[in-house]
Formats: sequence, C-alpha cells, structure tokens
Amino acid sequence: MVTTLNPGSAKVGSQVGRSVPRLEGRDKVTGRAEYTHTMQVPGMVHAKLFRSTVAHGKIKSIDTSAAKKLPGVLHVVTVDDVMKVLASPYYGPAFHDQPILAHEKVRFVGEPVAAVIATDPHIADQAVQLITAEYEELPAVYDEVDALTSKVYVHDVLKPAGTFADLKHLKNAKDTNLALDYRLRRGDFDKVYAAAEHKFEHEFKTQKVLHLSFEPFACIADYKDTHVTLYDSSQGPSFVRTEIARLLGWPENKVRIKVPYLGSGYGSKLYIKLEALALALSMIARKPVKVAYTFEEMFYQITRHPSTFRIKSGVDKDGRIVARKCEVYWNGGAYADIGPRVTQKSGLTAAGPYDIDNVWIDSYALYTNVTPAGALRGFGVPQLVWAYEGHTDMMARALKMDPVEFRRKNIAREGRPHATGQMLKDSPVEPVMDKVLERMNWSQPFDKGSGTVKRGRGFAIANKAVISPTTSVAIVNVSADGSATLYCGTVDMGQGSDTAMAQMVGEVLNIPAESVRVTPRDTDVTPYDMGTLGSRSLFHMGHAVKRAAEDARDKLKALAKEVGEPEGSNIPIAELFQKRYGMQAGNVIGSGIYKPDYTPPAPGTGQSPNVTPFWMVAGAGAEVEVDTETGHVKITKLINVVDCGKAINPKSVETQISGAALMHLGFTMFEKMHIDGGQVTNASLADYKIPGFHDVPTVMENIYVEHDQSNGPFGAKGVGEVATFCVGPAIANAIDDAVGVRLMEMPLNAEAVYRALRIKQGKPLEDE
Amino acid sequence: MIPFDLAEPTSLAAAVKLLDPDDATIRPIAGGTALMLMMKAGVFRPEKLISLRKIESKYSGVSVGADGLRIGAMTTLSALERSADVRKNAPVITRTLLTLSNIRVRNVATVGGALAHGDPHMDLPPVLMALGATLTVIGPKGERKLAVEDLFAGYYETVLEKNELIAEVHVPAQGTKKASYFKVTTGSADDWPALGVAAVIEGDGKAIKSARIVASAATDKATRLKSAEAVLNGKTVDDKLLREAGEAALQDCEFIADVRGSVPYKRELMKVYVRRAIREALGGGTH
Repeated sequence: MVTTLNPGSAKVGSQVGRSVPRLEGRDKVTGRAEYTHTMQVPGMVHAKLFRSTVAHGKIKSIDTSAAKKLPGVLHVVTVDDVMKVLASPYYGPAFHDQPILAHEKVRFVGEPVAAVIATDPHIADQAVQLITAEYEELPAVYDEVDALTSKVYVHDVLKPAGTFADLKHLKNAKDTNLALDYRLRRGDFDKVYAAAEHKFEHEFKTQKVLHLSFEPFACIADYKDTHVTLYDSSQGPSFVRTEIARLLGWPENKVRIKVPYLGSGYGSKLYIKLEALALALSMIARKPVKVAYTFEEMFYQITRHPSTFRIKSGVDKDGRIVARKCEVYWNGGAYADIGPRVTQKSGLTAAGPYDIDNVWIDSYALYTNVTPAGALRGFGVPQLVWAYEGHTDMMARALKMDPVEFRRKNIAREGRPHATGQMLKDSPVEPVMDKVLERMNWSQPFDKGSGTVKRGRGFAIANKAVISPTTSVAIVNVSADGSATLYCGTVDMGQGSDTAMAQMVGEVLNIPAESVRVTPRDTDVTPYDMGTLGSRSLFHMGHAVKRAAEDARDKLKALAKEVGEPEGSNIPIAELFQKRYGMQAGNVIGSGIYKPDYTPPAPGTGQSPNVTPFWMVAGAGAEVEVDTETGHVKITKLINVVDCGKAINPKSVETQISGAALMHLGFTMFEKMHIDGGQVTNASLADYKIPGFHDVPTVMENIYVEHDQSNGPFGAKGVGEVATFCVGPAIANAIDDAVGVRLMEMPLNAEAVYRALRIKQGKPLEDE
Repeated sequence: MIPFDLAEPTSLAAAVKLLDPDDATIRPIAGGTALMLMMKAGVFRPEKLISLRKIESKYSGVSVGADGLRIGAMTTLSALERSADVRKNAPVITRTLLTLSNIRVRNVATVGGALAHGDPHMDLPPVLMALGATLTVIGPKGERKLAVEDLFAGYYETVLEKNELIAEVHVPAQGTKKASYFKVTTGSADDWPALGVAAVIEGDGKAIKSARIVASAATDKATRLKSAEAVLNGKTVDDKLLREAGEAALQDCEFIADVRGSVPYKRELMKVYVRRAIREALGGGTH
C-alpha cells in the first residue's frame, strides 16, 4: 500500500461509518491475544489470599505459623509486613479508606486479611487454608437505609482522597456512614407538591449484582528499587500509575503500567483494585508477584450498588408533572471505591428525562459491611431508571392516562432546561421513544393472552449525562514508510475501541483503518487518559485521536511545503520522508488533547449551565408472557433503541446494544448475590447464574438512531452503557400490563412474580 | 488444587480393589464434572483418585434387548443423547438430555457418575427412577442388583459402599407406557432445576392403569411420589383428579429451600408441575 499526502481520486473511501471487523479479532479467536490472567513473567511467583469470615470485627490475632512451614511457601504476609514497605497502606479513588490487607479491623466477609506468596499458586492456596484468625466480632450494618441512621459505623474516621472538591467537607468526619450527600434543588418542591392535584409516592429497590468479567481480576507487579512495572487487567492505567506513584512517593515516570487486552471489565477494573496489593507483595518478595482471582473470589472485590429510591411526584390536573422529590440511598459496601461519584454523577439525573420545574434530589453514598460497590455499566443510572420509569407507568395507570401520552406531555425537549439547569441539546428522547413504539407496533391491538398465560407489554425511556470533566490525550505517529501508529490509553476490553479509534485516524489521514496500528496500552509510551469508563471514550478520546491525526496531517503538509512540493501534491508519504531525510528515516508526530468545557454544580443546589458535554438517550420495549400458575415470565420481544450520534462502526454499536441489554436482562430477571449475615451464600457460578443463549428473548432488536452530536467527533457519542438503562422497567411495566402486579424490587424472578400474584388474589404465600 | 495420585486401572474389578471403604480421600472419578468443582472449591481434597476411563469398553455404550436398554455406567451423557436405541426405546431420556446442563458437561459427564454423586439436582435420576430402572453394582463381594429408586439415601447420599461402583443401568422395556419430564428453572434457562418432575404412565387414553411419578431438585433426594400415584392409579384423568394428585404429591416430599426458591414456592411449583407432567405424558409422545 502506498499512502499519499492528498490521495484525491485514490481516496480509499470513508472509514467512519464502516463496519470494520475487529482489528484484534483474529488474535482473539485463535487464542493468541495476551491477557494478564494467563500471562507469565520470568521469575514470577504467586499469591493467594486469606479472607475474613466475619462482616465486622477487630482482628485479635492471625496465626500464620503452619502456612509458613509448607514447602514452597516464600512469605506469609499481613498488614504489619506491608507497613514495613509502605507505611500508609491505604488506597482508593475517592477516599483513602481501603487497606492493602485488613488493618486492625475487618469490614466485610471476604476482605483480604493475609496473603501467601509461593512458588506455585496451588501451594499458595493450600497454605491459605492453614492460616487462622481470631476476631472480636462487632455489630454490622448491611442495609443502605439503616446505614444512614445506624450507630454502627463502618469507619472510625473518614479519609477523603482530596481529588474531589465535594468530599473535602468529610475530612476527619466521625460517627457517620455517609460518604457523600449530594443535593440538587430547583424551584420549590415543597410548596408546589403540597398544592398539586395528584400526589404519588413510591419506593423502589435494586439488589446486589456483579460484573463477572470473563477474565477475573489479575495483576502482576515487578518491583525494582529504581522502577516498578505492573502488568494489569485494568480499565484505567493512568489512574493506576498515579495511585501507585503516590503510594511509593515516587514520580510517575518510575511507574509503568502495561495493559494487554482485557477479558471485559464493565467498570469492575477501574481505579485501583489488586494493584496496591501486588505492589506490596512484590516489594516484600523482591520478585514479580502475580495475584489472579478465581471466579469465586470475584464476589469479594466489587459489585454494583444495591439501592433504595424513594420518589415522589406532584401532577397537575392536566397530567403535567410539576414537582418531584428523589431520595436515593446507595449501598456502597465497606470501602467507598468510586461510589461517591456514582452518587453524584448519576444522582443529578435521578428525576429522569422529564421537564419538571420543581426538583429536589438527595443522593446518599453509604458505607455498609458488605463487598464494596462501584461502577457497573451505567454508573448508577440503571438503578435510577428502574425507579422513575416504574413510577411513571404507575402514575399513568392511576391517572388513567395512556403511558405514551403521559410521557409525551412531560418529556424535556431540546432547548428546555434539565433539572441541573443545563439547556438540553442533542437529547432526542422523544424520537428514541417513537422508534421503540414503532418497532413494538404500539398503535396496533395487542393479544393479552388467555387461560393461565397472560401477555403484556411495556416500555421505558431514559437519559444520562456523561461524566465530566475528564481528559484524554492521543498521539499519532506517521513513520517514514507512510504507515501510522496510534498511541491512546483507551483500553479495548471487548467493546471494539481500538477498531473505532483506528477508523478515526484512517478517516483523517485517508488510509484504511486496517492499516493503522494501535499500540498496546503501556504508560511508558501511551499518553494520559482518565479511564475507559462511563461511555466517555469514543467522545473524549475520539476527539483527542481526531486532533492528533489532524495535527499529523498538517505537519505532513508542512513537510511537503518544506521540501518544495506544490500545494495539493499527492506525493506518496514515503517519498516525502525520503526527500527530507535522504533515506527511509524520520517521523511525524501528531498529538491531540481534549477536555470539554465544564461548570461545577453550585454547592447545595447542584445547578450548572454546563454539567455534561453530552446526553445518552435510550428507550426499550418488552413483550412478556406470564405463567400465572408459577410466576414464570417469558420475554417474547425486547426492543432496544439508543441514540449514538453517528455510528463510527455500525456493527460495534449493535453489539454494544445487545450486550448491554442482555447483561441487564440477567440483572432484571434473576441475578442476585444472596447475603445472609454478611456472608454471600451463592458466591460461585454454580449458584449465581448469568444469562445464556437460551435466555435471549424470542425477538430482540438492537437499533440506533443517528442524531448528530453537534460537539462530538464526527458527530458521534459513546454507547457502552446506554442500552442498559431501560430493560428493567420496560419488563416490569410489561408484567404489570399482563397480570396487574407491580414489582418494586429486582430481580423479577418467578417466585417474586408468583408472590405478587398471590398478594393480589388476597392469598399471600407464607414466607418460609 | 494440590497434587494427588491418579490410578488408571484397566478393569472394573481392579478399580474396585483400589478403593478403600474406610478412606474418604480415595475416590473414583468418571467424567469428573462434579468432583472437579468440589476439588477446586477445596471441599474435597483427594489423596488418590481412581479413574474409570480405562476400564473395559463394555461399560461405555448402550445395547438393546427384549427386556429393555442396557446402559454402561461410563457412557457419556452426550453418547446417551445421540443413541438411536435410547431414542427409540426411551425417548424421554433423549428429550431430558437436551436441556440437561450444557453440551460441554454432557460430553464428559457419565451416566454412572450422575447417579453415584447423589446430587438431588440432577435430571437423569428422576427419569430413570420413573422408568423403573435398576443398577448392577460391583463390589469386593461381587455383583448386586439395586433399583435406582433405592439408590438415594439423602442429600448427596447414596446406599453405595465406598468400594462399590455402578457397572450398568438397566431400563426395562416400556411397552406402551408414556413418559414426560419437566426441568423447571427459576434462574437462567441453563441453571440447575428448582424442580424436576418425571412421569411414566401406563394407561388407555385418559384412564390410568399405573403411574410412576418422581420429583427431584426441590427435594432432599429424588423422591417417588407414591401418594400422587395412589390418587391416579385406576382413575380417569380430569382437572379435579390432577389437582388432587398435585396436592397428594406434597405428602411425599422433604422440600429444601435454596437460592432457587423458598419451600412454600417449591410446594406450589410441585403442585403445578405434577399436573403438567401427567398431562404431558398422556398427551405427548410415548415414553
């Protein structure tokens, strides 16, 4: 292939909008792709963890003597050993609250208390079984609503990391489980609600579920006295580097984070997880140390937030929602992780995609004695939509209004202010809803079933503000033969970002996306990126990549001018370098950086004219059959519609939609971590089931609309999460339509539906 | 997992000799789908495993005679699923296998293992029980016959001695009997069942001469529903009779609560699915 400066008629065709097959697809399906979990590093030893069996307690003693005697065991490590190499062993993105190994106290069942380093993972595992610990058990708090008023405190003193301005007031706070109290106030809720014609108040709950990436957590740390390298299954290598440098008191350039492909992440591999532990163990062992989880251990690292959402709405006589109050309690578990950001960044959209003048939002991040909770594909928004779209349907039903017309009357349209005060732009909620209704044949008569099988249908709509402000940097390197290499920190964990980014480079440089090399993530060479999270990458990194490619293109043109090429020359790029350097030599380096404009929300009211650079918009519709004798729900149709701005890679957009929707179908219908006295009783894939092919709805459509995102790269925006939002409430609304029962808590499993049916019949089923 | 010894005897008799009735750390392994999970979870730590993979090939395969099917204990579930003899003589087994776990498990799991493990969540035991299947068991003192119905002693417990091995399953000829099996899941479609109900019915139209109905998964062990059978035998089926049979079934069961459902809910499922299994057997295909 010859790449030319101005290809003209040789233009290879637009790269944006092509369903380019995954660049790494062949490596993955032939087993050649590299993953941390299966990676070997020369001289590497292995660590396994001894975990707490109590939910809250003081550590009285840890007996490691038998474990130390096992042949092959190199070290048995407790926090005392860690503190000899890292004096302050606490880490975390929002609070420095999580110890590398339990320090004085344990705060959840499964918390790492000691680590065994051995020559072989099985020996380490066996040695772990020989460790014993004694605890003085303390009362524990598990429920998020209880946690707000409980006298049981998970932490004695709160330690905000200092990164986030809205957490500073919590420094040294005592006698509280509150890790953030976010507020939004607009208009006068109390007054308008009191005077409203109709008043509605409901409470919705979501359960504890988890990500279950196909590749479990894994990190290999290789510590040397002058520098450290981490091979890491991470969605955010830049953050890991910053946090490891902080723990070591080193400059960032002595810390190297290498990230191969990820066997998915879904938010679980963000910020810092096993990295600080792996670092400490490598410092102690003075060898590369690998920490790699089994699937069973995944239940003790990070989960989604369970939530309780109390929602109140006042509606006027015309069916306009005039006032809304949202109180959201987020069950953050024992360590804050990124929970306070979930609390705020999702909290600001708690009132939904509706045009309501008087809004009151309180969103509480709470510590409890269970596995920590963090980001999971949607960053809290699916829990919110579950509540407000159930609430919307319940109100429409009570008002005897058509659920479509009720929403149409209340949707916040372009140019109207969101609850934060930001004017809505590129937020096509109504067109997305209309697409759902069209694909559902909503205007046509619907067969409601007969006998013991009743049929129903429902839908839901939602929006989300992308997390802001965040920064991305990219570099495009054009080599002397004209080939291009992209350096960007976005982690391809299965979503197809490498391919999409290569398409953007190809579009700007007029070369096929397939010819662009995307370097594996390595913080020694890859520039900064805030993290692969919250559907931000295609937009933020997309901008940075586009700018880097444009910068390279402009520099090539300048080079052409410098060597005397006429304006508009289509000289092959290789010849350009040849002319300039006398041989195949040199590089052209383009760089790009992007950070959107942002105005911080006003303290106390959450008002801001510019809280987010773009809105994600989703809708879903479901048809169900309910077996009234057993409560079994069969989903016969699931329509998922999102706005993607512009589909950079249409096939990838479609698979992001289907993947997100099916993941949330599992959360909606059956996934649940059962917890008894703080103990997870189904911590394995034998007892915690995720959807399989037989759970795919009979008819499933994954559709995008392209409403040009006016400030997006090539008009595009991210779609990693957006199809998760509406699945749950659409199905719950359909069940209500079928059998007239309303489930207020997920999952909507057969027993839950059956029990609701029995209550409706006035014959409730006994509990046990 | 820590190292252990693996013996691979070439005959069933030799395998029996390697087992020790007093040493729980020595166990036989067939497909290993259940045992490996227990080993990975640290629930079972073997000193020595006796692999049955190299025993005589006659224990892997299906044959048919006038008296019914003979299924070697080492026959894999997928071989059973694909067996034309099974499909012809006991098609309910073929239908059951299609929804039993997944293809990866069926490719290695064996018929003998599915029985000897004593796990009440298995789909095959209730079906074999309802079909009146018997076992040939080999121990140090020789061979004995045992009805599948008498195999299970409790939750993950069988009546087999630690040095006894299942050699063969015999499914008697079914004649004109009709059969059904329902695997009822409450989680994902490929979850373990919350309830399994098998029904094998000898009858004429809606008139039932004799019925064998077996429940599993919701119960501590695969359980024959004799009270329900008593309601049905000699009667003509109608909705009222089916409801009575469903109610009667509850008397025969020790229900267990787990993540797949509470006891009261599983009782409701039992009532419904006993009815549905009988109706399906009567209305559906033979066997």
